[in-house]
Amino acid sequence: MFAQVFITEFLKLRRSKVTWLTLAALSLGPLGIALMMWIVREPGRAAQLGLLGTKANLSGLTATWPAYFSMLTLVVGIGGMLLLSFIVAYIFGREYAEGTAKNLLALPAGRHWFVLAKLVVAAVWWAVLVVAVLAESFAIGAALGLPGFSATLAVSAVHDALLAAAVAYLLSPVVAWIAMVGRGYMPPLGFALAMLALGQVFSKTGWAIWFPWSIVPLFIGAVGQRVTTLAPGSLVVVALTFLAGIAATIAQLRYADNAQ
Amino acid sequence: MPDSMRWPNTKQATSSPQSEGIPGAAALSADTAIATRALTKRYRDVLAVDSLDLDVRRGEIYGFLGRNGAGKTTTIRMLLGLIRPSGGDVEVMGERVRPGTSDVFGRVGYLVEAATAYPNLTVRENLDIQRRLTRAPRGAVAEVIELMRLGELADRRAGVLSLGNKQRLSLARALLHNPELLVLDEPANALDPAGIVEVRGLLRSLASEHGVTVFMSSHILAEVAHLADRIGIVHEGRLLEELDRDQLRAQERLYVEVGVSEPERAATLLTDAGFAHVERADGRLRVFDAEERVPEMARALVGAGLDITELASVREDLEAHFLRLTGGVE
Repeated sequence: MFAQVFITEFLKLRRSKVTWLTLAALSLGPLGIALMMWIVREPGRAAQLGLLGTKANLSGLTATWPAYFSMLTLVVGIGGMLLLSFIVAYIFGREYAEGTAKNLLALPAGRHWFVLAKLVVAAVWWAVLVVAVLAESFAIGAALGLPGFSATLAVSAVHDALLAAAVAYLLSPVVAWIAMVGRGYMPPLGFALAMLALGQVFSKTGWAIWFPWSIVPLFIGAVGQRVTTLAPGSLVVVALTFLAGIAATIAQLRYADNAQ
Repeated sequence: MPDSMRWPNTKQATSSPQSEGIPGAAALSADTAIATRALTKRYRDVLAVDSLDLDVRRGEIYGFLGRNGAGKTTTIRMLLGLIRPSGGDVEVMGERVRPGTSDVFGRVGYLVEAATAYPNLTVRENLDIQRRLTRAPRGAVAEVIELMRLGELADRRAGVLSLGNKQRLSLARALLHNPELLVLDEPANALDPAGIVEVRGLLRSLASEHGVTVFMSSHILAEVAHLADRIGIVHEGRLLEELDRDQLRAQERLYVEVGVSEPERAATLLTDAGFAHVERADGRLRVFDAEERVPEMARALVGAGLDITELASVREDLEAHFLRLTGGVE
């Protein structure tokens, strides 16, 4: 039955503007970084064009591949975490916003299949976005002719971006649960923003490696001292958050009142 | 409405395994499509459904009638497992409904509350999703599109459909997998008069020719009175009365409606004259059990100096009975 449910979850995305919107949003990341790199490299021309030359120079950026990759990881890590929350909020919350949740609940298909299928769709969607944006990033970086490229650097950058994306994904079932409890888009988006803010707060404390939403920012160096590998404790926290999110979402759909 | 021949003739073959029925109600299962026992739903201080006992026989059309807020939709939600009862039990097609129940819903088609569909998908695509989820054969979508006369709209996005056509789409979704039981919450909502007649004919044909059980709620009495084999009247969460067709007819009563000056004085006068059941409504009098005594009534009123402006014999329909049961006009 999972296969049929999974197919229907993909079919629901037909003609959906949201898929293209998320691709456009994430694609803007590398373009934004490239613009900053160009401003750093060409401050005079940037100033002539009225761009933010002064601010870009003050940020201490250098127009090199290492700096470009570093910012890219930030974009995929922090921006991506929000975007993924948006995707999950859409996939789960739309059933309530569009009033179709009730049509899923009395069928010869266990409700847990819907939760699992939606999470797999989110994973595929997210993976396509991340891969597309990484490909775009390499193309833009090459077009800019940035210095300092090496295969080792590229592998490391891709590894970091994919790991940040994977950790962000593992936190997403909790967002799905909030979408179910809140029956729509806004509660999960509010939750994601709140967790991002809390992640920043916790990252300045000794609790950073234990708070799920601090782990991505810490790993990509968005806050505090960047960690190069995830602590075993952090991995356990993330894994438990993932499993708890799935269990809570399934329980919500199975046991809670689902009237709209 | 095209013929509903796509349904297998289930009229003679509606037995199901008597598994997991309501304790103490096992004997009901073979012949009962829906059974509830002491079914209750409470939302904080609001008792939405109060100890409801329902038995809907297989192959019948059961009209579940009540005013807005009477507990009809809440009951239907519990029948389908959309919400959990605060107390009591539900059995559908011989299987007890509880968290995790799913297989039995392959034999149930339903429409609850407002008609909804994925707005970015076409009518056909929406139905294809339902087909996959109910394991219906590939041709079922085209058949139900024809059945519900959705052909011209089949490739139109659901988001741009009128309310009436959305309702048709929702009915098509409910019918797609040839269910043995249809649970329909206000099925005539948003349909135009021709559509109501069509759906009525379809439901009648499904029940009489194919043995499909129909459980439909409505707040419009005429809608169910034309169709139902039995009617349950629910009010404030309680089942007030169940009537079959014969009992429905028996509820029709004759009364004499009298337009008269000084209706209050006239009512007293008639009561004193031995007319036992006199009611006032809309400035007129309704005198029951008086059809043989109309001349006597007229003489009494005129003799007392009252002016009669209207005198008519009226057959009280089920609507009046319904209003009387549920507390009159608001």
